[in-house]
Amino acid sequence: MNLKPFISTVVLLAGGVASGVALAQSAPLDLVGPVAEYKIYVSENVDQLAKETAKFVAAVKSGDVARAKALYAPTRVYYERVEPIAELFSDLDAAIDSRADDYEGAEKDPEFPGFHRIEYSLWEKNTASDVKQVADKLLADVKELQSRIGKLTFPPEVVVGGAAVLMEEVAATKISGEENRYSKVDLWDFKANTDGSYKIVELVRPLIAKKEAKFLAEVDRNFKTVYDILKPYETNGGKGYVSYEKLTDKDRTVMAAAINKLAEDLSTLRGKLGLK
Amino acid sequence: MTKHELPVPRKIEERDAPPAPNMPDMSASRRKALKMGIAAMGTLWMGGGAYAASRTPEGHESNVTDAPVTNVASPKDRVPFFGKHQSGVTNPRPANGMIASFSVLAETPDALERLFRRLTERCVFLTQGGTPPDYDPRLPPADSGILGPVIPPDALTITVSLGNSLFEERPWLKPHRPLRLIRMTRFPNDALDAALCHGDLNLQICANTQDTTQHALRDILKNLADQLVLRWMQEGNVPVIQPGPDGLAESARNLLGFRDGSANPDSGDEALMNHLVWVGAERKEPAWALGGSYQAVRIIRNFVERWDRAPLWEQEAFIGRTKVTGAPLDQPHGRESDTPDYTKDPNGEKTPLDSHIRLANDRTPETQDNIILRRPFNYFNGVAKNGQLDQGLLFICYQADLEKGFITVQRRLDGEPLEEYLKPVGGGYFFTLPGVARKGDFFGSALIAALRA
Repeated sequence: MNLKPFISTVVLLAGGVASGVALAQSAPLDLVGPVAEYKIYVSENVDQLAKETAKFVAAVKSGDVARAKALYAPTRVYYERVEPIAELFSDLDAAIDSRADDYEGAEKDPEFPGFHRIEYSLWEKNTASDVKQVADKLLADVKELQSRIGKLTFPPEVVVGGAAVLMEEVAATKISGEENRYSKVDLWDFKANTDGSYKIVELVRPLIAKKEAKFLAEVDRNFKTVYDILKPYETNGGKGYVSYEKLTDKDRTVMAAAINKLAEDLSTLRGKLGLK
Repeated sequence: MTKHELPVPRKIEERDAPPAPNMPDMSASRRKALKMGIAAMGTLWMGGGAYAASRTPEGHESNVTDAPVTNVASPKDRVPFFGKHQSGVTNPRPANGMIASFSVLAETPDALERLFRRLTERCVFLTQGGTPPDYDPRLPPADSGILGPVIPPDALTITVSLGNSLFEERPWLKPHRPLRLIRMTRFPNDALDAALCHGDLNLQICANTQDTTQHALRDILKNLADQLVLRWMQEGNVPVIQPGPDGLAESARNLLGFRDGSANPDSGDEALMNHLVWVGAERKEPAWALGGSYQAVRIIRNFVERWDRAPLWEQEAFIGRTKVTGAPLDQPHGRESDTPDYTKDPNGEKTPLDSHIRLANDRTPETQDNIILRRPFNYFNGVAKNGQLDQGLLFICYQADLEKGFITVQRRLDGEPLEEYLKPVGGGYFFTLPGVARKGDFFGSALIAALRA
């Protein structure tokens, strides 16, 4: 185990950064357990994603718009939880989860694929008839993702860095409500991204619990803020969420601050674990 | 792990030592030094005390709206941070400025104090300059690095002002609201965009270069992410010009091509500023507010294509000044600093009664309490959806009484012919906090003390 002490001259502006900057001395070896556990978490989610996507695609292909709409958000949850790993395959991430903004012709662009293309037809046009081929392709891409992740060796820095990546996702596209702009189901994504991030923190927590107690307390406080804000917006006994439009300005602001602070704090998590 | 309670600015050169606390703003120094033929402006401006606000030998008034002069600004320019009043109000505008408006996360007096203390700490460091700490390379760096390894002061000022909503939405804060602070309401010509209005707190960030203002904003966003959420911002700048042949500085031009701020009160006249700009005891404001000021911000789009198609005589009649020199229309061969004599032109034959400058300031004794200190910047926001240029004026003004100042002046301007070419789309009213008196003090310390009293 590499216990070479890190540079000890790190200084901190008082109050400027939430917690100390003296780096933890845990070496990458310590991460074998957490990474293995995370791989199981990702595999379970991707397996579930494939299963649920098959149901969603079947509904689309049968022209059952109501059922397709009902399955849309719960299916995506499994993707959103493990997005940092899915994003390692940029071709598949684009095929599955890109938004109209990524294409010059926006919604009308023939290259616009995946979940959000189907979302557009279901909510904006109230039809599934023009996206049957898109649905077939989506299922094929999800299965391909499942297969590639099965063969993947998880890089520890990607796993640990994923905690911050998920918060960056929320800060960049969820807080504005632009990710699921047709269906307004962004609160589901909020929750899934946050769960995915929190899972990573939980897995590495024992490695830094002593040395970074203050840091973890601040991180926990902000996760709690996000979960507390989301709670009143739950529907169906906690199985779903109301429309993003119901989120009040005040709650959005409180959430934005917590998310931004999590993104800042979790950006130091790799370093704290001795990773590059 | 070393802690810096309040980072001490690192001297770039020995002669650049920061001025002692409690020095007044150097409002007149630039013009004065220029006229005295002194070249090394940056150093002098920073040097501070000896150049405290005063009239120039020629008796020309100092004006915050003077255009910055070419080759005078230096990265070493340092504006004092500590003092009775905040910087960024009566000292001359540097070439770049912005207003960034935030929602505040602070539900208790303790949380508000924490925000103010941390904001003070960042502002001291950024405005006075220095070297950010080195972090282990496995961590994100402490600083964005866009100004290089050493942060130069670059005439940076960060002026903190509070919005009505900060008080209104917090029962424990509401009783302490400045008496005249209200939420900005619509004027007849306004087309306000909710996404560009109001805010719990705003920062007016000004510096010689845009990189410095942006650096400051990014630093504050990063360090105060848990208590400040950015709602809107508008950047602007001021044209940097050559001094006139007589050595006199001129007011900067706005995007209508006219000198803007010619009639601004003399910001070097301390007694006048105490009367017009700074809240004094006679205003009966809460004690914590003494030394503060009311700030009105307006994002005023100019329809420049249409303006450029208006005849020159009409442009001058709408404004009330000659376009080339800024001289008042009753003295077209005079200077912009000349005072129009409306008593000799009661029917507006020379200066139309509904011209902008005559409505705004009719030069009668009765309206002298309505005079505001303007400190605007021009903005360029690219192209609007209709293919026309989206540009205009980031109007900022300060006054000791918001109602007597901006609101009264704007009411007089309502319906002016110039409105055809203007469209206010955003902004808000704010209360600019008193200054941070000395090291160890912090923004709003008197307000926090009042909350606990």
